[in-house]
Amino acid sequence: MNYVPGTASLIDDIDKKHLVLLRDGRTLIGYLRSIDQFANLVFHQTVERIHVGKKFGDIPRGIFIVRGENVVLLGEMDVDKPCDTILQQVSIEEILEEQRLQQQAKQETEKVKMQVLKDRGLSIPKADNLDEY
Amino acid sequence: MFRFQSLDDDCTLEEEDDGLIEEEDEIDQFNDDTFGAGAIDDDWQEEHKRLAELDERDGLGAGSGAGSGAGSGVGGGGTGGGDVSSSAGLPSSSARVPLPSSGPPTQDADERSGGSDLAESLARLILDADPAIAGVGAAERPAPSPGSAGPGLSGLLGLDQPRVLPQPPSMPHQHQLPPAAPAPGLPPSSMLSYQQQQHLLRRGAAPLGQMNSHSIWESSMGFGPLSVSPGLVAHMEDSPLMSIIKEVGLPKRPPPGRSDEGLDLSERVPPPRSSSPVIGSPPVRAVPIGTPPKHPMSLNHQIHHPTAVHVRAPVQHRYHAPFPERLSPNTLLNIANSPLCRGPFPPRVGPVLSQLQRAQLLNSQVAGFPRGGPGPPLLAGGGFRPFFGGPPPPHGHRMGPPPPHGPPNHTAPIRHNTTHLHPQHRRLLTQRMQSRGGDRVRTGLDRRSRDPYSNLMSQKEKEWVTKIQMMQLQSTDPYLDDYYYQNYYEKMEKRQERERDSSSRKEHATKLITPQVAKVEHTYRPVQFAGSLGKLTVSSVNNPRKMIDAVVTTRSDDEEKREKQVWNKRRQILYTVEKMYSLLLEVQDFEKRFVQTPEEEREALLEQHKANTEQLCSSLQEKDWEDRVSEDQCVMIMAVRKGKRLVARLLPFLPAAQAAAVVMVIARNLPALAKKDKQDQVLVCLVEPVSAVVQSLSSSALTDLLQELQGSDGQLAAVLQNKFGVTLLYLILSEGERMQSSDQDCQLMDDNRWTELVFSVTRELLSVPSSSLSPPLFTPPNLLSLFSRYVDRQRLELLQDKLQISAASR
Repeated sequence: MNYVPGTASLIDDIDKKHLVLLRDGRTLIGYLRSIDQFANLVFHQTVERIHVGKKFGDIPRGIFIVRGENVVLLGEMDVDKPCDTILQQVSIEEILEEQRLQQQAKQETEKVKMQVLKDRGLSIPKADNLDEY
Repeated sequence: MFRFQSLDDDCTLEEEDDGLIEEEDEIDQFNDDTFGAGAIDDDWQEEHKRLAELDERDGLGAGSGAGSGAGSGVGGGGTGGGDVSSSAGLPSSSARVPLPSSGPPTQDADERSGGSDLAESLARLILDADPAIAGVGAAERPAPSPGSAGPGLSGLLGLDQPRVLPQPPSMPHQHQLPPAAPAPGLPPSSMLSYQQQQHLLRRGAAPLGQMNSHSIWESSMGFGPLSVSPGLVAHMEDSPLMSIIKEVGLPKRPPPGRSDEGLDLSERVPPPRSSSPVIGSPPVRAVPIGTPPKHPMSLNHQIHHPTAVHVRAPVQHRYHAPFPERLSPNTLLNIANSPLCRGPFPPRVGPVLSQLQRAQLLNSQVAGFPRGGPGPPLLAGGGFRPFFGGPPPPHGHRMGPPPPHGPPNHTAPIRHNTTHLHPQHRRLLTQRMQSRGGDRVRTGLDRRSRDPYSNLMSQKEKEWVTKIQMMQLQSTDPYLDDYYYQNYYEKMEKRQERERDSSSRKEHATKLITPQVAKVEHTYRPVQFAGSLGKLTVSSVNNPRKMIDAVVTTRSDDEEKREKQVWNKRRQILYTVEKMYSLLLEVQDFEKRFVQTPEEEREALLEQHKANTEQLCSSLQEKDWEDRVSEDQCVMIMAVRKGKRLVARLLPFLPAAQAAAVVMVIARNLPALAKKDKQDQVLVCLVEPVSAVVQSLSSSALTDLLQELQGSDGQLAAVLQNKFGVTLLYLILSEGERMQSSDQDCQLMDDNRWTELVFSVTRELLSVPSSSLSPPLFTPPNLLSLFSRYVDRQRLELLQDKLQISAASR
């Protein structure tokens, strides 16, 4: 509402803390420092937040430049609001470990499912999350 | 060879080097030619000096006589600089460091005074003379050394060329600086030119004391390849010599002094191309296209700025820094402490500035800080200034009471440029902002004032992005581009008008006027020179040259012809349908556009509308017979799915007679159409318009229609199988009934046609098996009364069951 009333613009979001979800599933939190006409974003003091179940871990990443086409959504974070009452923050190693376990478990269930289907003569092609190629 | 003769003349240590010389003969020839001992030719030297002195110092005049190296340095520097030295004429001449022994005394004084300007001039030199340009410039100049092969290497090193060493060997050192020296702050002393080194090498002289030049040379980059012979290498024990020989190109490292200030990346312009005129292409941009501009450009300027045709590459202009008083946050923080030791998100970007600094900051804000704030702590305020104060329209909106320590220069709320919005919209926006402004302002300001990294995006950059986004919103036809917005507010206006009508007449409902941008054709026309013979054969991105001439050849195969004919016909129909559709859309939109256009243009619009409708009507008519609807055309159009929809939308706009005729055609050809429609099932869309037409028919026309529907034998059966057909039939019957029941003296019963037709219909209806009877879209309620007129009780009941019409049916 700052510069272009009646339209939506990222100008007003500058220098505020944001959460951005990328197309590859990563969640970044950082201060939005600069934008351009393609909505490429420059994040400062970025932190990648990994969520596994009720736990989450923050990995500090520094400065990020995100190409606009890879953004799924972007939202301002309220710095004042108490952070995570339900979620529990853990260390980086722990969250990475949790993530690894989660991926492993998922893979195993997937494998079992495929096996079961194969036994019955069915096959479901794996949907590719990446929408390129 | 004369070179070696002269060498022998000068050289006293020749006995030692005979072998050396012969070995290096072939190799060093090359080097010699370019900048080596070959440059020791006296004649050349003198000429050179003369030229140089003509160029630079008129007063000097001296120094030519001795033929000593020192003097030649001037000349050498003169031409060696070329355009370089013209701008920095001093270095070459002032590169002359006091010569300990012989040397033209006249020049000494100048040299000494020039020495102080050395740094400056060299700095200028480096700024102006890029290696690329310098290289090109040098290549253009005639190579002074006679008979030199002068390949690229020599061109590059042309600058080095004039370094001359004809001095008698007793001269221990020559101090000469190459015109494009690496660093301005370089001590002018103790640098031997390449030739000198070579010379010494040949003599096998021990490295001279002042070889600390190697320190500079070693650290410089950008070496050109120089194939050094193994033999030569073997003799080079000295690392300084090695490095100097390796160093062939000009060092490209920017001087260390420049990297002190926070350079804006967009200022780091790549070296300008030594470009041939780029004709017919878009102008050369040194800065990549996405870079925000550094100097302000008005919106108009951007729009109306004509795209110039550039025949030659434009002069590179540097953008000056927007906020010279602004330091990068890094420098700011260097003064304070680094926040990196804290977590990524310090709760408040807190105690970065010390208490004192913060106080200063606040004071500066309150006091209305002076420009070019002294010292970094105030800079946060300075950098912060554009966030608050600043020029009109697109700017920080601060509604509500200013915060306790907010800038005082900001009392009135700023008005945005909302002229393009509907007034209601505008009102809503302001209301919304007012409510939001009060609570958010304080906390936002607070935080941002303490964040040292804030405002990395300058005001100009924000405006630039905004400008781009606003430009994308400009449209030539807002009614088309922004359909939903326009329509919504139109509806709202109408609603308001209706409401207001009762109350007050004075208040006129506010209307939305959307600015429209004129449609300008931007055609690219390649460069043409007046009076020249022929055109430039240049193809570029904007006007590509045709590479392949594609010629259409028709194949003379009969069967293919037939197939093609069929296809062509279909294409023709589709084409006709499309054209009619676009006409129809225009006709349909006429009303809305009429309301939008100003008074003067309404006449024209009306005319156009009439023309459109006429065209539409005529497209359905036969070619020879103006008044009759072309049946074939209609049928063909109806054969296509889109055509059916077209007719459905078209019917309301046709004059009554024509509409009736079209409906007749439909009725007549219904079986065929129904068959074609099996896949599409689109006929039902015709029900509404057709029913409208049917209801407006006269009784005779109605009878005719019914007759048409029945047509030949078996047509009715086919009709009954089709949903649309049944519906149409019912419509006709219902209309007839309505006529009979409402209008006493209707002519329906005048001849027996109607009755007969109805009889046959009922007969058909009874005989046709229920399964083949298609359920209609809807059943008009008065069918029962119709049938009750004509049929006896028994049959009536049968009909009732079959058609499921009852007194309460719908």
